[in-house]
Amino acid sequence: MLDISSVNYDNVFKRYDIKAEKEVTPEDLFEEMAPQEDPWNTIAEKLVFLEDVSSEVEDALADYEPEEVINEGLIPGMDICGELYARGVYYLPQLILAGDSMGKGIELCEEAMAQKGRKREAKGKVLMHVAEGDPHDIGKDIAAAMLKAQGYEVIDMGRDVPVEDVVDAVKEENPDVLTGTALMTTTQTAFPKVAKRLEEEGLDVTFIGAGGAVNQSFVHSFPMGVFADEAADGPYICEAVREGKDWRQIREEYDEIVPSAA
Amino acid sequence: MAKYTEMAYDDPDEMVFGEAKEPVTYGHGPQIKAGGGQVFNVTKIAPRPGAEERPEKLKTEFRKITKTILQRAVTLGFPAQEIENEWVHQMGENPVEFAKGPAIEQQAQIAEEFADEYGIATATTHTIPDLRVSEKGLRHGQDRESFYPEKVIGSFEIAAENGADVLKIESSGGMEIADYGIQRGDIKAFLFGIGYLGSIDMEWLWSQVVDIADKNNVVPGGDTNCPAANTAMFIAGGYLDKDIARTFSAITRAICAGRTLVAWEQGATGPDKDCGYEGPIVKAIAGKPTVQEGKDCSVAHADLMGNLAAQVCDGWSNESAEFHEEFSGWSSGTWAEAVGYEVSLMNTAKELGKDKELRDLYMASDRYRSPESYIIAYDNAYKIGEAMVEVGDSYYLRSKAAAEKAAELIQEANESGELQLSAHEKDTLNQIVTDLKALPDDEDKFVDECLDEYGDLPKFDPKNYGL
Repeated sequence: MLDISSVNYDNVFKRYDIKAEKEVTPEDLFEEMAPQEDPWNTIAEKLVFLEDVSSEVEDALADYEPEEVINEGLIPGMDICGELYARGVYYLPQLILAGDSMGKGIELCEEAMAQKGRKREAKGKVLMHVAEGDPHDIGKDIAAAMLKAQGYEVIDMGRDVPVEDVVDAVKEENPDVLTGTALMTTTQTAFPKVAKRLEEEGLDVTFIGAGGAVNQSFVHSFPMGVFADEAADGPYICEAVREGKDWRQIREEYDEIVPSAA
Repeated sequence: MAKYTEMAYDDPDEMVFGEAKEPVTYGHGPQIKAGGGQVFNVTKIAPRPGAEERPEKLKTEFRKITKTILQRAVTLGFPAQEIENEWVHQMGENPVEFAKGPAIEQQAQIAEEFADEYGIATATTHTIPDLRVSEKGLRHGQDRESFYPEKVIGSFEIAAENGADVLKIESSGGMEIADYGIQRGDIKAFLFGIGYLGSIDMEWLWSQVVDIADKNNVVPGGDTNCPAANTAMFIAGGYLDKDIARTFSAITRAICAGRTLVAWEQGATGPDKDCGYEGPIVKAIAGKPTVQEGKDCSVAHADLMGNLAAQVCDGWSNESAEFHEEFSGWSSGTWAEAVGYEVSLMNTAKELGKDKELRDLYMASDRYRSPESYIIAYDNAYKIGEAMVEVGDSYYLRSKAAAEKAAELIQEANESGELQLSAHEKDTLNQIVTDLKALPDDEDKFVDECLDEYGDLPKFDPKNYGL
């Protein structure tokens, strides 16, 4: 093998990620952002440090309303995780694990609400699918985890979903946002077909299109389509819908609304 | 079938681009000799969205794609040109209508015409889409809704009977567990999904592909772990990406080598599929030719080993690019040119007896750019291969050994200061080492543990793997 010991690698590449490493720690941010009182502090702590939160939620439900447990403990905990992710301290697995734990906590709260004859009011309802003919669903799963972490109800239709099944589900569920993902250029062609069928049925819903070979010019070429380049864009687009913006307005203000567009 | 328990090469320095221990010859005209002394060009171009609507449109698209690749190759004087067709979903759904005439027969005919007229060595490789979905069933008779397992095998038959020179696939067995592991940084899940389940699925699949290829006298090439290790690599991304640690993706690459090797253990001959970045590891073990991709993938993804990937390739390829017009003509021609000139450089180096120097320059360029490029640098790939063949009879143990060796190599290089790691990459690697140490040495015990731990995941059905 060639002797490469004399190579000055500073002249070949630079590890910008190491140069830009943040000094903030999960402990620092928890201290700064966590609710002070218990049981909310403990619930948030469990989420931030990726532990099962079930028993703390069960304990809290003995003394507090389930809505309070969600809003005062679980959501602030996930907000800290989201901030750690945004600052590059937490990576995707930490976010997903915290989301798994939060999901268990939410389930317990929803059971408690059901016993009292109430239903949880999510931030909004998102119907998700992977295009017909496409078996690649990890992107959809990651996006779903991020939306759930932000308090959205997610209805997951899975992968390889026929166009008519998507249209039927939109009719039945009346979601605030529909999403479709595809890895391949030739399966993404299902998206305009879905949009056309929704139009024919007189339905109008913001339809996030995303995935490997999918791009903005394609998604914005059919009615209702709004492009998301990253899974983390999803909650921002859903938030814009919550604020009353339709897909046309979101497209007009795209660079301001969608983080990856910047 | 026998598993690999010895290395094909006595020394990593024997490995170089354009040469394999077991070369394979196929195609039209002077024929392509994969691993037979020269590197050959591979170009693949995806049809534009909408072309898949009707067989006639697809046929027109593939005619243009094939001709414009070969025209550019002849224009620039390249001695060989392989055309790869990564089938779109519709071709796998209905191969008789969408693949046979529009792609397989037509592309073979054009390849032969160019070989006859100009004396260029040509060949067509058909990569069948793995339509199978674990929820519906991965094996014959299990998917009563879409019949995907039958369609996949049927597609290989149609391709082999109608003019394909080489058969390949990016098979997806174990992906449902691997995806879970990638999202959660769970290396045990990845090891179970790809190292164990994926290998079992490869046995089922490749034993049939090899039979089909043998019956039709075509080449059963090989596979790639694109659906899992490449997913990890793409999500890990570059220096601005913070979704999964690059140390995690590096270990997934080592794990998946044991799975990709199964195609060759089942009788496939190579060359394997270009996007299998584990190629240097499996070539070191088996000595069969490998096609690789790197810097000419930039239209599809960024990777941190654009030069290094060429170090021991036998065929050099671009990544699937959409067919469209550029200033100099169709994208097919532009990619044929980019790939072809890289191959010319490699073959010139061979002619001058400088191939090992060029190999080392490719390798040195990216050796320390990422943990993943570090572990597939050919000397390290060889060490991982050695660890695998020591326990080569067990799919689980050899995948585990690959992971352990890769982790050890990265740790050592980091401690010596050669390979820089971010704090997050270090933390993740330490966790992986801890998780690997906790694994049992017995395959049955491992499988029982994993079935307990992951058995309830919604997309996983042990029956898909005969468990």
